[in-house]
Amino acid sequence: MMKLRVNGQALLKPTAVTLSIILYGWLLLGFASVAAAAEADLKVGETIGPQNWQKIQGMVGENLLSRIKAGYTIQIKASKVYQPLKEYVEATEKYSGKVSLGANGELLNYVAGQPFPKLDPNDPQIGQKLAWNFFYRWLGDDYKTGGAVKGGKILRFAIEKDGSERRADVVSYFLFPSTRYTLNPKPAIPGYEHIDYIQLRIDSYPRDASGTTTLEIRYKDPARADDLHIYLPSIRRIRRATTTQRCQTLAPSEFNLDDINSFNGKITDFNYKYLGDKKILANISQEHLPFARKPGDYLPLDEKWEVVDTFVLEITPKDPNYCYPRKLLHLNKATFDTHWTLMWDKKGEYWKEQFGFFTPVKLADGREVWSVGDVVIVNVQNGRSTIVTATRAYNQGYPASMFSLATLQSIMRGGSIE
Amino acid sequence: MVKNCHKIFFSTAGVVLMVLSSTPAWAGILGDDWEKFFKEKVSFGGFVENTSGVSVGAGSHFFNTSNRFVMNRFIIQPEFNVDMAEWAKLFISWRFVAEPRYSMETKSREATVTYFPTQPVKPLIVTYYSEYSPVPWEAVLDVSPTDRLKLRIGRQFISWGETDGFRLLDVINPQNLRFSPPAAPNLFNLDESRLPSWGLRMLYTVRPVSNTILEFFALPGSLDFPDERVDLFMGANDTGDRKVRYGRWSAHPETRLTLGGRNAFGNLFANPLNPGACVGLGCLVIPSTTRQLPGAGESWKVGARVTHSIGKLNFGLGYIWGFNPQATDMVFKVTSVGCSAALIACQLGGAPSVVNMKLVNDRTNIFAGHFNYTVDQIASLPVNTAIRGEIALYPSEPYNISQYPGQFGLMASANPKYPEAIVEKNTLRYMLGFDRSTLIPFLQDDPWRPFRMSFQIFQRVIFDHENGIHPFSSAQKINKFTTNFTFRVSTGYLGDTILPDVFVSYDPAGYWSANPAVTYAPPWNEKISLSLIGAFYGGHNKFANLGLFSEKDSIFLKMRYQF
Repeated sequence: MMKLRVNGQALLKPTAVTLSIILYGWLLLGFASVAAAAEADLKVGETIGPQNWQKIQGMVGENLLSRIKAGYTIQIKASKVYQPLKEYVEATEKYSGKVSLGANGELLNYVAGQPFPKLDPNDPQIGQKLAWNFFYRWLGDDYKTGGAVKGGKILRFAIEKDGSERRADVVSYFLFPSTRYTLNPKPAIPGYEHIDYIQLRIDSYPRDASGTTTLEIRYKDPARADDLHIYLPSIRRIRRATTTQRCQTLAPSEFNLDDINSFNGKITDFNYKYLGDKKILANISQEHLPFARKPGDYLPLDEKWEVVDTFVLEITPKDPNYCYPRKLLHLNKATFDTHWTLMWDKKGEYWKEQFGFFTPVKLADGREVWSVGDVVIVNVQNGRSTIVTATRAYNQGYPASMFSLATLQSIMRGGSIE
Repeated sequence: MVKNCHKIFFSTAGVVLMVLSSTPAWAGILGDDWEKFFKEKVSFGGFVENTSGVSVGAGSHFFNTSNRFVMNRFIIQPEFNVDMAEWAKLFISWRFVAEPRYSMETKSREATVTYFPTQPVKPLIVTYYSEYSPVPWEAVLDVSPTDRLKLRIGRQFISWGETDGFRLLDVINPQNLRFSPPAAPNLFNLDESRLPSWGLRMLYTVRPVSNTILEFFALPGSLDFPDERVDLFMGANDTGDRKVRYGRWSAHPETRLTLGGRNAFGNLFANPLNPGACVGLGCLVIPSTTRQLPGAGESWKVGARVTHSIGKLNFGLGYIWGFNPQATDMVFKVTSVGCSAALIACQLGGAPSVVNMKLVNDRTNIFAGHFNYTVDQIASLPVNTAIRGEIALYPSEPYNISQYPGQFGLMASANPKYPEAIVEKNTLRYMLGFDRSTLIPFLQDDPWRPFRMSFQIFQRVIFDHENGIHPFSSAQKINKFTTNFTFRVSTGYLGDTILPDVFVSYDPAGYWSANPAVTYAPPWNEKISLSLIGAFYGGHNKFANLGLFSEKDSIFLKMRYQF
């Protein structure tokens, strides 16, 4: 009986070998693609600037490309490869065989893992399947956004067109109660099988905003909108809010509700089209958190970029009144995280672009996984941008009781809950 | 002696915390562990603020000079969070307020207030509006013995309910109504005027997925300053000469009751000693009022509540015993009737009688409920509205009651059926509110920046209503049904650097208030904000509801720096 050994430990059962080969195959292809790209066009150590921006046209957003044409330079580095988490692979092997799509694109018989590990580019439903693979990519059993940032908080900077900056600190906790891979109970916390995720978000700076806490619940039921409760310290009460207005700007940032994590809409509310594979420039091994930049600007000064293989997914809304008639995600073939997100407005004009760096972090047992690092969103029409440093600490073992209205009432201004 | 020890202890603690959290290295003298503790576990925040206001009411009755200054209030509030352990956190803050007593207000008070028996009117002390106690403003220890049980011990705020702008169930902590104009949440929100109380609060999450939570609180009251066990407000306006009124936010006093040119307010509550034979001023009853603050042993507030979610509905049912009634819900209780001269003079009907009354906080209890629910669409039409509601049943709520029309040609006079001038009625109050975020692109620079709107209906129903029920301060009757509407809209422009917010309220009986505000939050510094705020009032009858404040229109500039 063949066993695959990693770090001297026998980890995978024979039945998982096939699956792993498929997952690793995408990685190897990606890596090979990188090597090929590096050999053909981009070399490790090469500097891209105004003199040779053409080499990366189509590999970055148009706004960043314009900045490069205007003088910004970037350096190419070797690509990093992340190993998929063993438990996630095992869950995929165990449950993916029964997963299918319903008439409206909803997911049927899904339990945990990657819903569609085997993808056929000629499948007319590949777009929908890629969307579900993105939604159920590995994100840990829980995480604290900002947990791996010095100070333990998300740092957000809203930058005006003239370079003025306003800072805000946020702490955010996510719980995935129905797709658990590492922490018991697995795969779901009893009673929570109907919930995809719960987010607890606490504003902690500046002072007047601090203590504002939201509890958001995303349900598996496609017909059920998210629940949102907001604790307002100015009246010391919890207020209920609707989440159906997904396009509202979360001022002063340039994000809206559906921009969080690049795409946070209900999967069944959209149509998807696979546009093919593409090599893009990203940074999945960010070295400095946050990256160095000039005050008043979002461009990273001390980070290098690497070639990454992606699926390009076009998202169009079923609701004609939705803010983004077109959104493009560039999904990492191995992790299904996005690196570049591009958005257009109703006139068809380029509106926003978002890029997210990733960085390696360690689980409690020492295994390396990936986390979002710095995320930048630029509104090319009004010149405003927002930078968020949001590195995660995964699998902290948060109890489900933490994600309840009792917690909202117990947070003090500037305080924490753990 | 004990109070002095408290003051010394808290003063010292405050200074130590402030110094060590700003320069943790100094804690190093106590050892490396202390320095590390202050660096990692103690965080410091707070704000300084100045609010200045001027009266803009036409022909102000309060200031007959060019000085129409109504406020110059300076606040500094340092706040500390201490992560003592994974299961225990401490929050402690101090609040220091410097606000001068206004000389015109003091002169006005001296000119118009009269006591019986006659005695000098005590002037407002210079520091009447200031707050500088070394006792912490808020000091809570949050303990979580298990992940489902949360205990909060200390000087704290407990706020129930779903209302905005006005209070209904939010009557556990008292309010300081001395410095803040009424119905102006954009100037001072409820949290800024709420008074903390020492006590214990417990939250136990029975079932997290359905937010099934048991809550219990107990506030003894004995540890609070006596006058902070109940709402603070400027005392009743006496109307010796019906001229200038004192107090920036004192309500317009009852001036319709006069007998022989004298204030007959006392006649509302008691009859003269010889009503049958009195003549002229002999039929007058002079009011002699005192504020009766609850004693330490009778200030307990205890409550319990259970909340739960079923689908999209979240609701709660609770009970409060010993609540603190809002200032407008207090009553005068008649204790005795005496004579302004020798008793025989009143018995013969020749001299004014004197009614001794106490302004009391009755220990009525409340059966409370609240709910909230989101409606996405109705008949396929997008509604996108959050509905919320509050309901409070007050069994046997006390009201003052008089007889209409009154004796001696007065509009109203004492009702002999109620010698204490109090009647108790079961009262139901409720609020229904609707919140919606609406996009109005043509009114916005960012078409996706929503306008947040909220609409509320407040209603009070007095069961088994009797003719003659009135508030303690006025002869204006309270109807069986009382209704108030509020509307609030807010949004942001230019990346939320300009933030308008408007709160209005309207009583269909003909009263209104408007509280518009615009805040500038500079894009280059998140710590600073400047707000221009108005407080305007109106009504056809200045003896009722918000008409009581119809001569107090003012505008304010609020400057705030957060740290």
